Amino acid sequence: MIKAKKIFKNFRVIIALIAILLALVAINPNPFAKGVAIRSVSFNSSASLAGIQSPKPTANPMSRERILSMNNVPINNLQDYYDFVSDLNINRTVNIKTTEGLYKLLTKEKIDIIQLNQTETKKIKEQVFNGTLNKTVNITKFITVQKTRETHTGEMEDLGLIVYDAPTTNIRKGLDLQGGTRVLLQPAEEVSTDEMDMLLANMKYRLNVYGLSDVVVRQAGDLSGNQYILVEIAGAKEEEVNDLLAQQGKFEATIGNNTVFRGGTDITYVCRSADCSGIDPYVGCGQTSDKNWACRFRFSISLSPAAAQRQADLTNELSVISDQGSEEYLSEKLFLYLDDKKVDELNIGSDLKGKAATEIAISGSGAGTTRQEAIFNSLENMKRLQTVLITGSLPVKLNVVKTDAISPSFGKEFINNSLFIGLLAVLVVSAIVFIRYKSLKVALPMLFTMLTELILLLGMAALIGWNIDLAAIAGIIIAIGTGVDHQIVIADEILKGEAQVYDWKQRIKKAFFIIMAAYFTTAVAMIPLLFAGAGLIKGFAITTIMGITFGVLIARPAYAAIVEILMKE
Amino acid sequence: MSEEHSEHKHHEKKKFSLREFHDKHYKKLLMIPLVLLVLALLQIMVQTALTGDFMLKGVSLKGGITISIEKPIDINELNNYLNDKFPQSDIIVRSLSKGGEQFGAVIEASDVESDQLITAVEEKSGKLEDGEFTVEVMGGSLGESFFKETIRAVIIAFIFMGVVVFIYFRVPIPSLAVILCAFSDIMVTLAVANLIGIKMSTAGIAAFLMLIGYSVDTDILLSTRVLKRKDSSVFDAILNAAKTGLTMNLTTLAAIIVALIFAQSDILRQIMTILLIGLIADMINTWLQNAGILKWYVERKHKHD
Repeated sequence: MIKAKKIFKNFRVIIALIAILLALVAINPNPFAKGVAIRSVSFNSSASLAGIQSPKPTANPMSRERILSMNNVPINNLQDYYDFVSDLNINRTVNIKTTEGLYKLLTKEKIDIIQLNQTETKKIKEQVFNGTLNKTVNITKFITVQKTRETHTGEMEDLGLIVYDAPTTNIRKGLDLQGGTRVLLQPAEEVSTDEMDMLLANMKYRLNVYGLSDVVVRQAGDLSGNQYILVEIAGAKEEEVNDLLAQQGKFEATIGNNTVFRGGTDITYVCRSADCSGIDPYVGCGQTSDKNWACRFRFSISLSPAAAQRQADLTNELSVISDQGSEEYLSEKLFLYLDDKKVDELNIGSDLKGKAATEIAISGSGAGTTRQEAIFNSLENMKRLQTVLITGSLPVKLNVVKTDAISPSFGKEFINNSLFIGLLAVLVVSAIVFIRYKSLKVALPMLFTMLTELILLLGMAALIGWNIDLAAIAGIIIAIGTGVDHQIVIADEILKGEAQVYDWKQRIKKAFFIIMAAYFTTAVAMIPLLFAGAGLIKGFAITTIMGITFGVLIARPAYAAIVEILMKE
Repeated sequence: MSEEHSEHKHHEKKKFSLREFHDKHYKKLLMIPLVLLVLALLQIMVQTALTGDFMLKGVSLKGGITISIEKPIDINELNNYLNDKFPQSDIIVRSLSKGGEQFGAVIEASDVESDQLITAVEEKSGKLEDGEFTVEVMGGSLGESFFKETIRAVIIAFIFMGVVVFIYFRVPIPSLAVILCAFSDIMVTLAVANLIGIKMSTAGIAAFLMLIGYSVDTDILLSTRVLKRKDSSVFDAILNAAKTGLTMNLTTLAAIIVALIFAQSDILRQIMTILLIGLIADMINTWLQNAGILKWYVERKHKHD
């Protein structure tokens, strides 16, 4: 009893307890967390119109918005959510209760848009920079767009929410453990810091425009001075992401050999709404000779006045030729290139000759084995093209050097497996220590110390937002493993110090002489890994260094103090 | 009290014979780890001469595809089928099991497109839905650069470790003994890994870094106990250190074996296999080689004094 009091009064033990407390606050465990957490909200979807917002990727897992109930039906897990959503119909109001508030969501009907072979005039508002006023002004203008017809499918459009089971702690799981896509890209030539910043910003923007928000885009390097960009998209399995990221996005339209306009600055507006983008009504979809399907898409863009003038000048020199039918075209075609690859070639209507038209339709195609697939692929191609036109081109070509698409179920299995192994290993090690020293006074504090080191490590990871992945788990193993080694050194020094010539202080000092030497050698051995191999095994080094540092500074001194108090007569 | 005393006596009696043996033969014992080291270096040289590389590289170091699927499937059949279908590429299929029951497979392949490989696997496994499988594609040049990078990291780590050991002990021969021990550990482990055909991944090389950490722990313990002993004999100091050190090794071994039995992750299994080999090598190198060198060093120093 007196000893227990002494232990809790010892300042090393107090420091360890405070550290554990802080770590637990950082981890913020709540095994009873209910609902499904929102990963992302699609652009222009029912959910986004109701005011639900995509979370910031940097937000703590526990602080993310969770859906608790829908129409008063409690939503406790993913299954509940999918069950509820599958029963929904169009034009229903859904009251969603989340941890942040209440949303009234209206389900939409999924509408297929077919563009007709007619045009109509529409009024649009545009923000334009006025040179004489030196500020951005809103102007209203009339544009001619294609008339569209909407087909009601009778089906409900997706709510636009991507959700996952509510997290129960603030510990972030790495891609290995939660599934997702990882792409490692390498610039084709060396880029400066400014260019790299621009690259990263542009890529983040592209992914966001594309509708992916839970993404990590960061720079990585290695010992040889190679530059890499690491992109991790949690929970997503998006194959097209590869192309989207690696595309330099150099978009160019030419007539003859002359450039009319380029992506980025020459383009002031890209239409993404259904009324001026979609499957091309002139051509639509058709079966090709080899029984495959192909569809054409088109969407309108606005050119800057300078680019429109360029087009006028170039078309002015062309002659008018007429097709077999009534249509009249100009003698040269407009060629569209993306990253120097021809996307499409378009006939230029004779009425455009010499006109500085700012509204232009861009088109392209997509193919598939079925009509459905061809439509889907065409729309995907369109979305990609729109994305690169909006975000402009990357300053340098990027090569995809590594892609990982990780299944989420493997991760779940792996977490359970690691926890089981970890627990069993801790028990076996404690049993061996108990057998060796035949004393619970040595073995129990050791068990306590192992758990302390684990909690401190996870707490720190939660605090700095470090992802726990396979490499980090290897780091945890080594940190706790060396921890046990060091506690055995402490126990032996205390129990069997050479004869009885040393006092307690000296024994512990000697133990820590050994421990510190082992600590420094392990720590310095990990340092090169921080900078090697595009940072993919950085997690291993950081976790190991963090773990052994906590061990040496907090957990092991506390262990020494506890064993000393327990053993001292 | 008396009981403890008799136990102590009993211990001393046992210690006595071992002490004589060790005093007489420790230089001969020193030969065991040295012969092992020479054999290991030979193996690595032969390996390099035959294959051009000093280790067997897995797909994460030479580029290629790793597909993990979560469906029970006939491993041999799939292996034969894939190797027939893609004769130009090097394909290995391994099973994933949990508690002795197979639940999936890992396919490693080089020189083949991932789409083709997935389609071929699906012919045997049935359609694989998203989320039922994991695909990792490593570009060839990146694999090569990863290999160089991680090897460089191990070399730098080794040098850093050596510098810390020197700064700490400030005596050349015992410091060199610690460094030699770590070097022997790495070489013997590498040679054994080559012999049993481990295809090294990035994680496998990281395991060598762990090995440096674990290996140096016991060496530092030994050197400290021997160099900083007050009035006990070198042998007593070594024996005391061995009691502590072998307990350390035993706990680590137990944890590794638990992990080897139950781990499902290929990566984790490889790390654990390398640590297991390394730890056994380290036990020999620390307690025969390093202890022998230290004893030799202390005895010579006494003679000179």
